[in-house]
Amino acid sequence: MNSELLKYNDVSISYGEKEVLSNFNLEIHKGDRILLKGRSGAGKSTLLKMPMGFAHPTSGILYFNGELLDSNTVWDARKRIAYVSQDLDIYEDSVNEFIEEVFSYSFNEGKLDRNKLRRLLVYLGFKKDILNMKFADLSGGEKQRIGIIMSVLIGKDIYLLDEITSSLDSALKEKVANYFLERKDWTLVIISHDDIWEKEDVKVLQVDV
Amino acid sequence: MEVYDISYLSLLACFLLLLIPLAISYYFKPEFIRETIISVSRMVVQLAFVGVFLTLLFELNNSFVNLLWLLVMVLMASHSTISDVKLNLKKLMLPTVISFLVGNFLVLFYFNMFVINLENLFDARFLIPIFGMFLGNSLRSNIVSIDSFYEIMKRNENRYHYSLSLGAKKHEAILPYAKKSFEITLKPSIASMSTIGIVALPGMMTGQIIAGSSPILAVKYQIAIMIGIYVSTMMTVVIGIFMTIHSSFDNYGILKKDIFR
Repeated sequence: MNSELLKYNDVSISYGEKEVLSNFNLEIHKGDRILLKGRSGAGKSTLLKMPMGFAHPTSGILYFNGELLDSNTVWDARKRIAYVSQDLDIYEDSVNEFIEEVFSYSFNEGKLDRNKLRRLLVYLGFKKDILNMKFADLSGGEKQRIGIIMSVLIGKDIYLLDEITSSLDSALKEKVANYFLERKDWTLVIISHDDIWEKEDVKVLQVDV
Repeated sequence: MEVYDISYLSLLACFLLLLIPLAISYYFKPEFIRETIISVSRMVVQLAFVGVFLTLLFELNNSFVNLLWLLVMVLMASHSTISDVKLNLKKLMLPTVISFLVGNFLVLFYFNMFVINLENLFDARFLIPIFGMFLGNSLRSNIVSIDSFYEIMKRNENRYHYSLSLGAKKHEAILPYAKKSFEITLKPSIASMSTIGIVALPGMMTGQIIAGSSPILAVKYQIAIMIGIYVSTMMTVVIGIFMTIHSSFDNYGILKKDIFR
C-alpha cells in the first residue's frame, strides 16, 4: 500500500444556502492519477483549491501527508502541491520577469533549470521570444502553457490540474496530457472536460451530490 | 525687521475680495455661492478655534499637555485615513495609529534635538507646528498608500494566490504589491522636492520671510523640514502597510474579506 498523500474526509461544500457537495471522501496515494468529473458548479474546482487553503470546506477536514491541513500546515502543503488553474490571467510584466520573480522566492531559489525551461518551451510549441513578451499580450492557451511549465519546473509531490488543457488545440492537448501521464510516479488529480485525459491508468471519479 | 499686523478691519477688507468669485459664481453657477459661503465660514471657524487653542496651549506650554495634543492629532489623522479609504475602521485603526506615532515621533524628536537643538524638546511653539507639518504630509501619503495597496491586492488576488501556490511565503507574495503602492505613494513627494522653490515658494518659508526671518534662515528651515517630512512620510507609509497586513490577512495568508466596507 502506498502512503497516502492527500485525504478528503467527509467534505461538504455549500455556496450560500445551497449545498453542492456533501460528504465527499477521497484518498490520494503516491502515483495515483484521478480524473474528477461532474456537472459544472458541482464544486470540483473548490475541491482542488482546498489543499492550498484558497477555499475551505463547509464541513469536513483534509489531511496532507497524514497531517491535518490547517493554517499551520498549509504553508508546507503549498510547497509540495502544484496547483495549476485555468485562470492564469494574472501578470502584467514579461514572461521572463514572471519567471525571475517566482524563482526569487526563498523556497525556489537556485532551482531554475534553464535547460529544462528551454526544452519545455520547445516541447509545448513556443518560440524563444516568448520570454520577452508581456504576459498580458499572451493568448489564453499561451498563458495556460506557461502555467504548466512553471509547475513542472518547480517540481512538486502532487499536481492538481484544473482544466489546464481547456484553451489548447487538440495537438497541444495531447502533448500536455501525455507529458503528465507518461511520468508514472507523478501523482495527478485532474479536472477536465477533454477526453484526452481518459487513459486506462486514470481513475475517473464522478463528483456530484 | 518689522512684523506687519493684520487688523480685524483689514481682515474684513480681505473678505471683500470674495465678492469677485461670488459675482462670477452668480453668473456661471449659482449653486457655488452657497458652497463658497459654507466653505469660507468653516475655514474661519476652524482657524479661529485653532488660533485660540494654540494661544492657550502656547501660554500653558506644559510638556504633558503638548504631547497629549499630538496624540489627539494622531487619532484624528488615523480616523481620517481609514474613513477616506474604503476599509473597515475597527480592524485597521490601531495599526494606523501606531504607524503615525512611530513614523512621526521618531523624526520629530530627532529633528528637535539635533537639527533645531531645542533646549526643551516639548516646547509647544516648535513641537506642534512641526509635528503638524509631518503629520499633514504623512496623512495624505498614508491614505494613498493604504488605499492603493488594498486596491491592488484585491485586483490581483488570483495572482497573489498563484504566488502562494508556487511556494512564496506571505511576505514574498505581497512584496510586488507593496512595492507598487510604495511607488505610487512616494513619487509625488519626490517630485515635489525637486520642483520646490521654482514653481512656488513653500508655505513655511513664505511665512518665515513675512514674519521677518532672513531668506537664508527660511531656506535652511525649509530644507530641514522637507527632509523631515520625506523621512516621516516614508516611515509612516512603510509601517502603515506592514502593520495593517498583520490584521488584514488570515492565518492561511488570504486577504480577509471583511476588511473592505
